[in-house]
Amino acid sequence: MAEYIAVVGGGIAGMETAVRLKALGLEPVLIERSESLGGHVASWHRLFPDMSHADKLIKDLEKGLEDVDVQLGAEISSLNPLRKGYSLVLTNGKVYPCRAIVLATGFSLFPAERKEEYGYGIYDHVITNRDLEGWFNGKADSRVPESPRAIGFVHCVGSRDIKAGNSQCSKVCCITAIKQAIEMKEKFPEAEVYCFYMDLRLFGKKYEDFYIKAQRDYNIHFIRGRVSEVAETIDGQVQVKAEDTLSGKPVRVRLDLLVLMAGIVCNADNQTFTQAVQMPLDDDGFFRSRDNVGAITESDRPGVFFAGACTGAKTIPETLAEARSAALNVYLYVKGLK
Amino acid sequence: MIDRFANSGFHPFVLPFLVGMIFVLTYCFFGMVRIIWELPGKDRRRFFLSLVTPRTAWKNVKDIFLNCLIHVKLWKRNPVLGYMHSSIAFGWFMIILLGHIEVMLFLPERIRFFYYPIFFNFFVAEGESTIQGSVLMFLMDFFLLIILSGIAMAIVKRFASLWFGMRRTTRLSFLDSVGLYSLWAIFPLRLLSESFTAHISGGSFLTVPMNRMFVWFFGNDMNYLPTWWAYSIALGIFMIVLPFTRYMHIPAEMLLIPLRNAGIRIIHPRKGFARVQVRSCPGCGVCIDACPMSVKKENLKDCTVYLNRQIRRGNEKRIAEISDKCLLCGKCTEVCQVGVPGPEMRLAQRSLRKYSINPHYSNIQVDPFIDAIPTGTRVLYFAGCMTHLTPGIKKSVLSLLDKAGASYSVMDPDGGLCCGRPMMMAGRDEQAREMIRLNTEIIRASGCNVLLLSCPICYRIFKEKYKLGNIRIVHHSVYFNELIHAGRLKVNREEALKLVYHDPCELGRGCGIYDEPREAVSAAGTLVEARQNHAESICCGGSLGSITLSYEKREGITRNSVDNLMAGSPDAIVTACPLCLSTFNKYADVPVKDLATVLDEKC
Amino acid sequence: MDFGFSLSPSSAVNLDKVDLSLYDRLAAIDPGIRTCIGCGSCSATCTASAYSGMSVRKVLLAMQRGRMQEVEKMLSNCMLCGKCTMVCPRGINTRRLILNACRLYANVEGEA
Repeated sequence: MAEYIAVVGGGIAGMETAVRLKALGLEPVLIERSESLGGHVASWHRLFPDMSHADKLIKDLEKGLEDVDVQLGAEISSLNPLRKGYSLVLTNGKVYPCRAIVLATGFSLFPAERKEEYGYGIYDHVITNRDLEGWFNGKADSRVPESPRAIGFVHCVGSRDIKAGNSQCSKVCCITAIKQAIEMKEKFPEAEVYCFYMDLRLFGKKYEDFYIKAQRDYNIHFIRGRVSEVAETIDGQVQVKAEDTLSGKPVRVRLDLLVLMAGIVCNADNQTFTQAVQMPLDDDGFFRSRDNVGAITESDRPGVFFAGACTGAKTIPETLAEARSAALNVYLYVKGLK
Repeated sequence: MIDRFANSGFHPFVLPFLVGMIFVLTYCFFGMVRIIWELPGKDRRRFFLSLVTPRTAWKNVKDIFLNCLIHVKLWKRNPVLGYMHSSIAFGWFMIILLGHIEVMLFLPERIRFFYYPIFFNFFVAEGESTIQGSVLMFLMDFFLLIILSGIAMAIVKRFASLWFGMRRTTRLSFLDSVGLYSLWAIFPLRLLSESFTAHISGGSFLTVPMNRMFVWFFGNDMNYLPTWWAYSIALGIFMIVLPFTRYMHIPAEMLLIPLRNAGIRIIHPRKGFARVQVRSCPGCGVCIDACPMSVKKENLKDCTVYLNRQIRRGNEKRIAEISDKCLLCGKCTEVCQVGVPGPEMRLAQRSLRKYSINPHYSNIQVDPFIDAIPTGTRVLYFAGCMTHLTPGIKKSVLSLLDKAGASYSVMDPDGGLCCGRPMMMAGRDEQAREMIRLNTEIIRASGCNVLLLSCPICYRIFKEKYKLGNIRIVHHSVYFNELIHAGRLKVNREEALKLVYHDPCELGRGCGIYDEPREAVSAAGTLVEARQNHAESICCGGSLGSITLSYEKREGITRNSVDNLMAGSPDAIVTACPLCLSTFNKYADVPVKDLATVLDEKC
Repeated sequence: MDFGFSLSPSSAVNLDKVDLSLYDRLAAIDPGIRTCIGCGSCSATCTASAYSGMSVRKVLLAMQRGRMQEVEKMLSNCMLCGKCTMVCPRGINTRRLILNACRLYANVEGEA
């Protein structure tokens, strides 16, 4: 009987892990809950910093999966430890004896309606970063006006916010907001675009260039102040209240579109996995790595590995790099080399 | 009828009782004088007036009888505890009353001795030889039996309080224990003493057989004197320690009830009415289980019973801590048998604090607010500070008003002035009054005849402190329910939709509004009830009442409250307070909606 | 020494000489106040700010920069409505902070 390596989650982390495991001569089975691969990235349009197309990344990864056993629309219904490895029973009835498991379950996007003061789901012209990417991808969205004159981006929605249950920084929203602001400005050169931020955290390669470009070439207004309330005017615009903390004055601005940068939060069902394999969850709700410096893709349990944002907010290059690292670690583990 | 000590009518064994009795009566008398003295002049006049007003005077008698003797409130809450308390209180009262009747009937000249009715059977022989005598003897034994059953229950309860439905109870102080044990001793000793003398003084179904047994066992009646001494000593000890124990609640409550019926309120947290409240607390600890903060062990000693105890002990540090932590939800008062107003005590305590910065709002101009309200406004909607953070409520309310065809204006479209209640909750009444003055000016100048509110925090202070003349102050839950009844709002009921209604503290316990919101919820779906509901609903934990409770420390309270609401497995939680809404939203697994939103969706 | 010019005493903050006693006392009561990131949510949502320039963010900052008169001026307008507590992303108990600051302002060494 073949010994499988289970890769749980068909986002880019899981896809890349499965591709690399196959290349290393192992037999991965990629398990994805939804009916298609690609995870969050599949709903995105273009990616920073090169403005490459998200669907190209997904297609490239899919090519490497041609000979891999991919189980779509399937979840793990039970997970039982064997003498060496685990036995996985899927909801579609299939059973896989697995030598190792790679958890690549990723993250959830913060449900923006939970911050009611921003009016997502209440007002007509409030959308999230994901909604905007969908619109970039050609999905019709009545909330995006035909020719907006003013557009606002709210950073840190559900990130660095103890009230939202997530006190961590989501890392990617600052650069995503700048990317989206530039894209909107390209589509609507006449519109004023505002970014409301607490701190701008542009740590990655070429991120600062994006910021400079947004300032110099696109005249995007950066306002250092967190939006506290959003109201709707009689003519359907949204009115944003914030403090411009640099001038120390309250600012109000009427916008035709408000985009909320929903943050990266842990999956609510992470606990079902940790309970099944009897390992602790980290206090931020993500999976806990054996060591956050030297062994980020390894868990406390032998044969259980992590890849990507299931251990915390990650960028795409970080996720792909971790996926490769996880695949290599699985290989070493299975061959008894480590 | 023979007075066995015809000449003196005295025996030295009565001395312990007599000393205790005189002490406790003197103590209570001076205590009462002091409390009445501490009342503000206006309240004092009001109190005296209420005592001679037939209606309140009758109410006083009725309330004292029903609460202090029968413990009606306790019966409703817990019949077992109700029986235990009323058996002792009412039984003891009846024994004292019957004792007096006996003396009046048989030896009226002896009534001037305090102790005579208590020790009647020692002094008077062969009482049961007449019809009246035997009936009285029977009743005496009957009530003694009732009391003894209550005492037996009390002893069991002391060691197994869970059997009586109490998860947590207070720990006794040393003097409380002395009082408790002497109280327990009194009635068995009375049974023994009366039994020992039953063949001389007569007795009934309890004492006569016991007397036969004693005579058969001891062969003589030399034992009666020590037991009568012991009985008197137990009584004496109980009365001497009474002012320093929780049993002080017995006399204190008899003053509390008339003061409360006179409509007097707490002004100073230690003086006057508050002093009676503190002394009326029986220390039973019902408020410990009731307090929403008690879900966390660290808050167990912050409920009202401990506030009262610390005030009695004068522990200023703890008094301040307990007063500042409280959510002011009012549940302790709701479950309290005596009705000690926990939130008012704390507010009075908070109002004592001295500040070096005292906010004032003299720079605020009301004219721009007035000018912004169109003339001819009938319904003036005041969203309030909190509602601006829950824009869904505001949008639904305005949508419903449109659907009902009401003519309305919004008083604070872009933020208004605070209603003053949060400031009042911090004990800063002077500042609150200034806000009340400003808002009153705006509202009166608007010419509206209905002031519609979404926030129960605002609603309560508008109801209690604002003087708006003929302008009707109404919460949206009540207003929309009326519009539904009047046929101006057509709500499409969804039978399968199970909705639980959470009573916000300020709307329910604060203003007594329980039924209208439920009627309105029932118009939209099927109403299910929380495990604890109406006046016993559990605070969401978000209350502005608490000054010191941090955000993190409130999570457990909220989760417990949500858990209580989920008892009937509803599809959504419905509430009528912006603060409850945003608090629940953080931890609930089902959608949380304001009543207005639920109605608007189905309209 | 005279360089022919001087720093205006009102515009420069000399951190060596700032009296932090009020801030430190408030932080001893509730260390949470030290976690402020100055996002300005409290100021933006403040009911009283529209009439007075009240801002919890600025109160905290002014206390750390020794600008006590500004602290007093701002706190004198607070209505204690609690909106700032609701929106603070760090969960700072701003109402408690304000009440304690009002209480301890004049007599920094006073009772707890």
